[in-house]
Amino acid sequence: MNEYVTAAYGVILFALLLYVVVVGLRSARLAREAELLARLVEREEAERDGETDLAAR
Amino acid sequence: MSSTTDTRPARRLTVTGLVTAALLLTAVYGVFFGAPEDADQGIIQKIFYFHVAIAMVALLAFLVAAIEGIRYLRERDPRHDEIGSICVGIGLAFSILVVITGSIWAKASWGTWWVWTDPRLVTFVIVLLLYAAYFVLRSSADGERQARYSAIYSVAAFASVPLSFYSVRVARSFVHPVVFNQQGANMPDSMLWWFVVGQIAMIGVFLTILQLELIQRRADRALRRVKARLEAAA
Repeated sequence: MNEYVTAAYGVILFALLLYVVVVGLRSARLAREAELLARLVEREEAERDGETDLAAR
Repeated sequence: MSSTTDTRPARRLTVTGLVTAALLLTAVYGVFFGAPEDADQGIIQKIFYFHVAIAMVALLAFLVAAIEGIRYLRERDPRHDEIGSICVGIGLAFSILVVITGSIWAKASWGTWWVWTDPRLVTFVIVLLLYAAYFVLRSSADGERQARYSAIYSVAAFASVPLSFYSVRVARSFVHPVVFNQQGANMPDSMLWWFVVGQIAMIGVFLTILQLELIQRRADRALRRVKARLEAAA
């Protein structure tokens, strides 16, 4: 195949792959933040449970 | 209040994504194995199918952004601002692809990467630069002002789109060919058919990216809401 045709379609493919990488990175950031929030909620729940136990005693 | 979340956007994305992938595969197969080789340009003409399809979708994205801009100014619904800004982003990325693939085609066909005297090429770059400025403007304001300025700009900038589209026809282009004119498509049906498949596939890519971006922003907003609530409670 002609080198110019390969280059043109290669650019389009590269752009699509680049977008997939960008979306992947953004999804990874969202997952990290969701994980962090989940840990915060769990820690607060644990602290609240600890306070309830102390009050019960 | 219902505790279930809306799964329709994800389902819509799955359907659009799968149909688009199938169409893209069919279009690539058709362009290289179905469509005949151009008698004048030979295999280099194969660049046309996706180059023009991407250009059309870039202009379509700018049109949607302008419509969303008008809708935002009428309804003040931030969702229109969100869709509008995503469309400008997609249109800009597609425009860059059009310029790159066009330059490669120009080098193969005319022997030069760029011709500054051609109205189509120059007006297309003007459109690209105008929409690049959209993001500069957007980053200069916040909240409602940002949305309002962006909406007004996307409507005003759209005036450059017909300018680019008709420049080549009005100026009787010097080098850039005009494939679609008032008499119809200037190519045989065997080529036109695969061009249409490629065009629909590219519209599918646009819709897929738009939905994906909307879902990601929705997730981002939900996380920020939870974060704010937790910080307020702490």
